[in-house]
Amino acid sequence: MRLVSPNINSWRFRLAGNAPWIAALFIIAGLVHILSILAMPRLAERDAYARLQARAPLNQLQLISNPPGPDHLPYEDPATELAICRFDLTQEPLRLRGDLAGSGLVLFSFRDRYGRAFFAMTDRGNSRGQLDVIVATRAQLDAISAEDGEDETPSELRLPARQPDGFVLIRALALEPGRVEAARQLLQSISCASEKPAAQ
Amino acid sequence: MRRSAAARRSAGSGLAHLYRNTLAIGAGLALGLFSSWLALERGHGFGAITAGPWTGWPRTGADDADPYARAVAARTGELALGSAEGLTFLARGDSAGRTFDRRCDYTIHSPVPVARFWTLSILDQHGQTIAGGQRQGFTSGEIIRFAPGPFTITVSREVRPGNWLPVSGDGGFELMLRLYDTPLSANAQSIGEGAMPRIERGECRT
Repeated sequence: MRLVSPNINSWRFRLAGNAPWIAALFIIAGLVHILSILAMPRLAERDAYARLQARAPLNQLQLISNPPGPDHLPYEDPATELAICRFDLTQEPLRLRGDLAGSGLVLFSFRDRYGRAFFAMTDRGNSRGQLDVIVATRAQLDAISAEDGEDETPSELRLPARQPDGFVLIRALALEPGRVEAARQLLQSISCASEKPAAQ
Repeated sequence: MRRSAAARRSAGSGLAHLYRNTLAIGAGLALGLFSSWLALERGHGFGAITAGPWTGWPRTGADDADPYARAVAARTGELALGSAEGLTFLARGDSAGRTFDRRCDYTIHSPVPVARFWTLSILDQHGQTIAGGQRQGFTSGEIIRFAPGPFTITVSREVRPGNWLPVSGDGGFELMLRLYDTPLSANAQSIGEGAMPRIERGECRT
């Protein structure tokens, strides 16, 4: 009598023998995939903030042109004029003011260091065409609201920023080439500056 | 003799384990990185809306964008519109599904979904404007309508009457439709193919 021994060279047998390593391979691949995707915003050296950093000073509105090249912002509308105001709230909050009455389309987005918009609005989001926004950290906002009187409603929009550094991106649409200059002038008329806290 | 054979076998199996461990770790790393690269190269994250040839990613610029959308944005440097600003749609081919080719003419037929303003622009495959100092797009204020209502825009290397969007060079391109201040922002999922511009391919020259 002879027992039929399994053929140890068959692919089934080999596969079963290597199953722990194959499983490990896929687990490692999955972990690497997840970690690399999550780490990408922190590792990317050429993200929007890096591209804008050299061109825009802190707490100051800066018109930016967007020609093709290494610092190009992709998928921008050629019909819009761009301005950014980079901020760092560690010292003081940021205040944005402007007169947008009859301005046409203006888009505002308030973004963190990674380009994510924590708040966005259009020119229609302002009361009577007057732009007045304070961007501040939570602690600064608490200090500001402590200054408010009992029955006062703040006239400005107060935005809490999650991180102290970020930027405001303002886009103005020029409906036709003849209105490009007007759109630029409108952007330049907006003031963006650090706000000195009220005297204690 | 028998003992030494067993020792030899055990040493051999140790080596085989080491070999398999290294292979599993190496191949796992490679597969993980390759799949990440593929996801970032091909996609824009979850939550895409498709309507005919147009695809939009309304959540990309939002605060709650998914990790893939964030990773893609970090790599490309793109600053997507926030949801209160409007919607962006990209087309990489015509309504029949054929990828854009600069040697061909394309006609874009209205309608455009309701928006305070819209723009249609032509970009290369990396999202950069196509150089040449020519017109790079149309806005809702520039369109010539031959009758109240429908309009067409023609993409061509040759001069065309009406709304002509010139293109130069070879290779592909992309069309970007931006709807600014649109009521659709809130429920973007409901955009049907019939509400978006239709893209028809015309004559191709070599």
